Amino acid sequence: MLQLVVGQLLNGVIIGTLYGIIALGVTLTFGITGIVNFALGAFMAIGAYAGWYLTDGLGIAYPAAIPLAVCATALMGLLADQTLFRFTRNNLINGLIVSIGLISVIESVLLMLWTTTPKNMHYVLPGVIDFGWFIVPRMKGVVFLVLLAVILATYAALTRTWTGRAAYAYAQAPEAALLMGVRTRLLETGVVVYSTALAGLGGALYASLYSLEVSLGSSYILKGVEAAILAGIGSVMGSLMGGILLGVTEAVGSIFFPQAYRDAYGLVFLVLVLLFRPAGLFGARR
Amino acid sequence: MGKSQHCRIALGAGAALAVLALAAFPAAAQEAVKIGEIEAQTGALNTYGWMSSQGMRMAVEEINKAGGFEVAGKKYTLELTAPDTQGNPQQALIELKKMLEEEHVRYVFGPFLTNVYKGIEPYADGFDGKFLMIGGATAIHFDLGKPQHGYLLRSWNWDAGDAGFGSLMVANLKERGAKKVAMLMQNDAFGHVARDIYAPLFAKEGIEFHEEWFEPGTTDFSSVLAKIAAWKPDYLFPGYTDAVLYDIVRQATEVGLTRFWLVRGSLGPGLKNKDAVDDYIIYIPKYFEEAEASEAKVKKFVADYKAFYKKDFPYDQAPLCSSSCYDHVFMLVEAMKKAGSVDDVAKVRAALLGFTYEGLWNIRYDSTGEEVFNFDVVDIKKGGTIAVTHFAPK
Repeated sequence: MLQLVVGQLLNGVIIGTLYGIIALGVTLTFGITGIVNFALGAFMAIGAYAGWYLTDGLGIAYPAAIPLAVCATALMGLLADQTLFRFTRNNLINGLIVSIGLISVIESVLLMLWTTTPKNMHYVLPGVIDFGWFIVPRMKGVVFLVLLAVILATYAALTRTWTGRAAYAYAQAPEAALLMGVRTRLLETGVVVYSTALAGLGGALYASLYSLEVSLGSSYILKGVEAAILAGIGSVMGSLMGGILLGVTEAVGSIFFPQAYRDAYGLVFLVLVLLFRPAGLFGARR
Repeated sequence: MGKSQHCRIALGAGAALAVLALAAFPAAAQEAVKIGEIEAQTGALNTYGWMSSQGMRMAVEEINKAGGFEVAGKKYTLELTAPDTQGNPQQALIELKKMLEEEHVRYVFGPFLTNVYKGIEPYADGFDGKFLMIGGATAIHFDLGKPQHGYLLRSWNWDAGDAGFGSLMVANLKERGAKKVAMLMQNDAFGHVARDIYAPLFAKEGIEFHEEWFEPGTTDFSSVLAKIAAWKPDYLFPGYTDAVLYDIVRQATEVGLTRFWLVRGSLGPGLKNKDAVDDYIIYIPKYFEEAEASEAKVKKFVADYKAFYKKDFPYDQAPLCSSSCYDHVFMLVEAMKKAGSVDDVAKVRAALLGFTYEGLWNIRYDSTGEEVFNFDVVDIKKGGTIAVTHFAPK
């Protein structure tokens, strides 16, 4: 049993980073633009389909297809920002409505292009790494390392660069940041595009692990929002930790309880945390 | 304009009309018999419907191209209405209503999916005696012979029973020395029907049985598969649609579960993971790769498919053409000929139950309206080696 629990702890950590990358997008977008972009799940689907199509459809090597898929998703993010989201800045309700509407548009376009029939990418890196006590599928290991690196790099960029500090400053006091010379409009657009790029990256990596269907992002955006709330909105490293905690709760919960209700285990955990820490695990106490 | 010129114009117009009328005459003489199909052509569950829809179009085209068919001295063609239900019961209900109320279709093929059948069955009951529904859904089995369900015919072998592939496959599993089988099934209508059918069959053979469930839309099965692997089953009896089977088979082999036993789905997931599986036993109505070389009708069907759709033949999906597909359209036409009517559904139903159709499959219906046809069981071994066993239920 211990072996099973340890194996699933690790599996939960790996899956949790996928939740974490979406949670990071949610927290960044909310911090800078004041909206919760529920369409990030749909952008994840764009990244996934782009990754699959570039690899299996056009025959581009998977490592090269990932950045292309991320760029394609970011481009869609830029388009969405300039045509929709820039009119909803700091308006939570309008942003919510626009992002939910955008999900339908994106899913419909994906349906038109590739139907609802699930797609399966060829195995990029088959096989497992055997640690004796437990095993890790090779591709899952790679996905985990890439996502971890991107989240850590994002954290470093936000804390160690002028742009990152400007973003923090803008999140805390927009007018003061503007007076200090921060190009706020560019910053807002940049954050929206970066968040969609993160979702695209999550999607492109997801495509190497699982079958694709157009609504694949719907559960991930919910998990991403859950993870962001669990961590406390605004915390970059908290997003990663929130995602991991959620992943671990689901994976380990599925050992002791039916798999069919795995989504509920994370939610129960979230409710329990919020009962004692309403601002989330890493959020500032009020 | 002179009088003679008027005459010439009038004559010319008359002649043109006569030619047009003559040209149109054969078409007008051939009345169209409307047939409908309610299957999932796209969507996560389209394994059960896509091939049926492909084969049905081919059959209709072939019959019409050959000049239609003659019933009681009158020529008919077929007119097919085949909307895509996407496996959605609500969509299927809308389409069935259109067919029965607006288009007055008397012969409906499908559904193959139990959840879709459950969604349309209460409505369809109201049209008992007015149409026939020839579908492969497992749940249809339980309604055959019930009052208000005379419209039903089931186009698939029943799992259990003397001629059932399920009973036979469970017995075969016992012969292979299996003592423990774990089922990982979708938590939906068919999943529970499958459990209800197979749990007693395993118990009868003295095989220990463990069940786990997952929600539709699940893609990561690693936790539940690790749990199953810890139980150390001899075989895994996984879900029933390719949409989840690709993910399950891949992830199962990663946790050391390499023996699979399936009663639904295609060969695709087994072949994609051929280097990781030790044994992938699957009920396949026909192993086309082999049959193409040995059966002339199958060879022709494969060639016709390629010519008709101008694409490669879908060997992995083709076995599913055993339900409400190509053969069934020809069989219906034969039944209408035998019944001497295209619209007396009771006579056509009786005719369908009265003969064996020899097409891609040898198809007959038993007295309840359930189909019995020959089938194959395919065993994929590590590396992709395939062994086929043929069965012809009596």
